[in-house]
Amino acid sequence: MRPSRASERLRRLLVLVPYVVRHPGTPLAEITRLFDVPEDELLADLNLLFMTGLPPYGPGDLIDVVVEEGRVWIEMADHFARPLRLSRNEAVALYLQGKALLGTPGLPEAPALASALVKLEEGLGPEALGELAGRVEAADDGRPAAGDLLEPLMRAAGEHRRLEIEHYSAARDETLTRRIDPEEVFSAMGNWYVVAWDEPADAERMFRIDRIRAVRPTGERFEPRGLAGAGRPLYSRSEDDVPVRLRLGPGARWVSEYYETEPVGTAKDGTMEVILPTRQLPWLAKLLVRLGGEALVVEPAELRDLAREVADRTLARYR
Amino acid sequence: MHPLERLLNLVALLLEAGRPLTFGEIRAKLPAYQQGDLPAAKRMFERDKDVLRENGIPVELYPTDPWEVEDGYLIPKDRYYLPEISFTPEEISALVVAAHTPGADGEAEQAVRKLQVGAESAPLAALSRSPITAGIDPGGPRLAAVAEAIEGRRAVRFSYRPARGEPGERHVDPWAIVWRSGHWYVAGLDRDRGEPRSFRLSRFLSDVSQEGEASSPPPGFDAKAQLRLGPWGTGQGLRRARVAFSPDVSWWATRGLPEAEVKRTRRDGWVEVALPAGDSTAFVSWVLSFGPDAELLSPRALREDLVARLEAARAAL
Repeated sequence: MRPSRASERLRRLLVLVPYVVRHPGTPLAEITRLFDVPEDELLADLNLLFMTGLPPYGPGDLIDVVVEEGRVWIEMADHFARPLRLSRNEAVALYLQGKALLGTPGLPEAPALASALVKLEEGLGPEALGELAGRVEAADDGRPAAGDLLEPLMRAAGEHRRLEIEHYSAARDETLTRRIDPEEVFSAMGNWYVVAWDEPADAERMFRIDRIRAVRPTGERFEPRGLAGAGRPLYSRSEDDVPVRLRLGPGARWVSEYYETEPVGTAKDGTMEVILPTRQLPWLAKLLVRLGGEALVVEPAELRDLAREVADRTLARYR
Repeated sequence: MHPLERLLNLVALLLEAGRPLTFGEIRAKLPAYQQGDLPAAKRMFERDKDVLRENGIPVELYPTDPWEVEDGYLIPKDRYYLPEISFTPEEISALVVAAHTPGADGEAEQAVRKLQVGAESAPLAALSRSPITAGIDPGGPRLAAVAEAIEGRRAVRFSYRPARGEPGERHVDPWAIVWRSGHWYVAGLDRDRGEPRSFRLSRFLSDVSQEGEASSPPPGFDAKAQLRLGPWGTGQGLRRARVAFSPDVSWWATRGLPEAEVKRTRRDGWVEVALPAGDSTAFVSWVLSFGPDAELLSPRALREDLVARLEAARAAL
């Protein structure tokens, strides 16, 4: 059943009122942002709030709400001076998301987050987290895959400073030097990425930070273009994509979870046919060799030739 | 009177009453319930009470007389109010960042809105920063079910598709939840195999059902260690392998693998590294991902596996 409007507004007010009681004169803009409520709805709620209170509901028993010059004061609301405790779902969701973030290696906020989670475990009491406290862990803590480059890249992105980087390109299979305008740094699937405008290519590019060997300042600044960071797909489609058709056996099925693929169908023997769009055939050739016969190329034939060549060169190391 | 106004007054009344109030007493005090006849007012009150409970407000029932003829209602303050937890501004902003993971369902955001009540200035700045982690594991929604089982020490059953091999039923005593490289795992005792195993939530094919009581983790059980062996899997082998990497890839190949140890740099620029090889199939596959830029030197058996796999790939292409 969908909660009624009154129920939703109640839920919001019981969280918002204590904040304003504790922060007299909070700007309206701050409240709308923190509690994700449009200003007109907020004003309507405040208008109702100030008609409520305790029996016998005389002038001295009602909550006092003042909205003046874009700021809000709430007084005479001792009974709403502290928020409602966290529901079990809220506590568990925050705890798990916090632990997950803590598992992002190299996170600058890690020490503060770790101590905040300990305070949650201790402060919320056994009712909220129970046995779960201490039974959730992040396995990646301290894994410094992105190394010392994370901090300078984050800072350059924040200050809009153009950089020169040395980067190993899987597509080209070589280390290249390029000038980039770094806009966002984020972590996904255990890796850190920087989203940047690649000046020479005049295009948006994403770089895995653990494949960056060196970062040098150029002394130049750039105007950010608003490139999307976290939450974006790790692979963005382009007109240059080659639609590669693969047949994946059971040992290669992880490819369909790990990379962005379109399913075509599943055969009786359990092999799965997918389309994997890519601009990087040399990279895919290596992937096919790695899959050791568990994956077959339906098309293009060019990829088959490339993969054979990689297999031969690799085999040569062992002869 | 607006329903919201009535609800706010009811919460305030039951919080401040100090003793359980019968419906009659509530009606006498709250004008909203004085309109219409008694049964209609009582129905309205029952609906309001449900709304409060849906919102997590503990409206409790107590007997009001020794004969327990009529119940009274009260919201106990110690069950309503959030305990005071004082966070530093850095802690609050870290929690805000954690709560705003793209793809999350909003429960954590609501939690932070409550926790930030006493915060000085920090939450707003943290909110305007761009998120630094991308998305959460699609297994996320099933997490709640596993978390609940751990809390209640219950065993779980679910259908599972392993990374390799055929899908099947699993019956597990969940001991811990572990986050690694963008995914949630459950570590615990696989009852059918009689061994500790870990399962990735995004590979669950069914919902999680509870089944029977679960064992406790053995003393010294380290859920992280079970999952930490490297990008090639979740096995527990500790055999060391030696791999040589070309100058093009050696500087990044073992970044992020604290167990990797550089043994020597050869005259041709290749770097020899010793590292633990867990699950051999996954390890061989990882070495092969470098193509001709890596050579597995030892152990011999693993090297032979690799050559066999390469030849199979060559024949299939």
